[in-house]
Amino acid sequence: MRGKDVQLRDVVMRFGSFTAVQKTNLTIEAGEFFSILGPSGCGKTTILRMVSGFMEPTEGSILIGGDDMRGLGPAKRPTALIFQNLALFPLMSNWENVAFGLEARGIDKTARRAKAYELLSMVGLEGHEEKTPAELSGGQKQRVAIARALAVEPAVLLLDEPLSALDLKLRQHMRAELKEIQNRTGVTFIFITHDQGEALTMSDRIAVMKAGVVEQVDTVDNIYANPKTPFVATFVGENNVLEGKVTRADAEYAAIETPYGEVRGLNQDALTAGDRAMLFVRPERTALVNGVIPENHFEAAFERRDLEGAYVNLFFRGSAGPIIVHQPNIGMHGHLDGNTRVGFNARDALVMRAGEVDND
Amino acid sequence: MTDLLRSYGRGLSWIFVSLTAFWILVLIVLPQGFMLETSLWDINRDDQLGMKIDRAYSDLGLLEYDVTAAAEADKPAIQAKIDALQSEIADLESQETDPPREYGIQNYTKMSSLHFMIFVKSIVYALMVTALALVVCYPIAFAIAKVAPPQRAALMLLGLVIPYAINELLRVYAWLMILDYQGVINSVLMWLGMVEFADKSWIPFLEYSGSVFVALIYAYVLFMIFPIYNTVDTLDRNQLEAAKDLGASTFKIHWRIVIPHAKPGIAVGCIMTFMLSVGSYSVPQIMTRGKSGDWFSQLIYRQFFEAQSWNVGAAYSFSLVLVCLAFILIMMKVFKVGIRDIAK
Repeated sequence: MRGKDVQLRDVVMRFGSFTAVQKTNLTIEAGEFFSILGPSGCGKTTILRMVSGFMEPTEGSILIGGDDMRGLGPAKRPTALIFQNLALFPLMSNWENVAFGLEARGIDKTARRAKAYELLSMVGLEGHEEKTPAELSGGQKQRVAIARALAVEPAVLLLDEPLSALDLKLRQHMRAELKEIQNRTGVTFIFITHDQGEALTMSDRIAVMKAGVVEQVDTVDNIYANPKTPFVATFVGENNVLEGKVTRADAEYAAIETPYGEVRGLNQDALTAGDRAMLFVRPERTALVNGVIPENHFEAAFERRDLEGAYVNLFFRGSAGPIIVHQPNIGMHGHLDGNTRVGFNARDALVMRAGEVDND
Repeated sequence: MTDLLRSYGRGLSWIFVSLTAFWILVLIVLPQGFMLETSLWDINRDDQLGMKIDRAYSDLGLLEYDVTAAAEADKPAIQAKIDALQSEIADLESQETDPPREYGIQNYTKMSSLHFMIFVKSIVYALMVTALALVVCYPIAFAIAKVAPPQRAALMLLGLVIPYAINELLRVYAWLMILDYQGVINSVLMWLGMVEFADKSWIPFLEYSGSVFVALIYAYVLFMIFPIYNTVDTLDRNQLEAAKDLGASTFKIHWRIVIPHAKPGIAVGCIMTFMLSVGSYSVPQIMTRGKSGDWFSQLIYRQFFEAQSWNVGAAYSFSLVLVCLAFILIMMKVFKVGIRDIAK
């Protein structure tokens, strides 16, 4: 395993009076696939640039493999960066692109050519070595960029939304490929993205950022199942949101009063009666009431049905805002019109202190 | 042509085509053609022609006197002589007013060894000016395009353009005043006690070719900076960062990334600077005041306006045009850029 761990200790980044990154402590384990997820402008790219050495943090320190990186430029750090637009050198052939880092280190031409050919074959580009990047497809360019970054044998690979320019099919394919390369090389990957699907499928752990603050760092499963803040709950995956005042609460559950009536969910913030709260329940944990009656249920007006392929999105509108229900597409969605009863179990819902949600 | 008609209609197409034709004909073909034609002929004027005409006229006067005094029987013979002489005079005079042209390449081949040396020297000097201008301008162009924050870049560009609001001659005279015997630099040196005007121990900057170089570079700096700036400006900043991230030194980044990208701009800048400096007349004329040898452009001027030898002047001019064309082709070959890249 060649990866190294990365630590951010009390890191703050300010540009004039604007604080791009609030005081942040973060530890990324060696050999981990770590994603920083957040909307644009949340400070994730700033963190990436501080780790890669293009920026020095205003306060705090960054350690890679236990060594303080302060004062070291990007060339001196054991990191390699893959740019959003890849930044391949268009006037060089693919193998020269891959070998550029070795050329910069003064390795002779035969050796670096052999190494470049080897890396290009590792990413499945045999036969394309002498072509230029312009002659390759989007996914192939992506692989050249990965090979170029890996050629300098970095301990940490930094990826700045490198998949955002690809179309959906290719993006999904490249996700698997990136994960595979990461497994094979053991290099620490820090992946920057605003696409929660991308972060969830590839990462071991995710940090969710909003406005310069890391809201939650957790494994992918926990981020999805146990979001700690309303923002994380709504930014990662979809969630139905019900808002209201807490009427009753105990150690495990809290009930809130909504226009749909009283609904109950897990009381994760230890709220007490009278607090303003939000209840989150995933669309796939919400169901049409049919036979077994769940703990929480209410009537909502059916609006429309979108077919996603494997599942169906059912949209309802009621007095307390929209409700989405995901149903597996197993052909059981006969006729829906007018008011329908929908519901969910209390243990599938999270009640937390009211806060800012993601509006997109 | 059909595309043009479809896109712009008959009226506009007609204007486009006729303007282009006017440009090609009047600004390219006509002057160059006239120059080429003039350079290819020569008048072989008889040095004695004036004297021959004078003598014929005096002979004619004598004969006309004879004819009045002669006996009736001799008159026809004398009259025949007069007629012969008159036709000879007409012939000589037509030779004088409309001398016969001899076509050939003699104007090109009879360049004296001194003139040829000046020709070669001017080309070498222009090459040196071009190289120096490139060395000076590349870092400036790069700084404006990629290093300076936008506001400072705008100020730098403004600073470069402002001197060009002043007439070129005035700018050259400004340099003259700076470099003259009792000019700005020498005055400062005297104030520092390093030279003395009284015993003429000033540094004679104007007697060195360097002073012409300085003024030429100053005069044509923009023609080098702008093409390079334009190409460097289109370089993706991420490429610079990627190269840096991969551990490349500043030299390596420029050699492998920036310069290859800026090639068309460098080629255009070099071509413009070379052509302008090799053909510059005012700068060497003013800066040297005849003290450090002529440039070829001055030689051409002399051929036209002092030696009154337009044919040789045209041949010299056309030789310079050929050199410039050769330079363009060489630059395109060396920098592997096509005419399309340059047009961009």
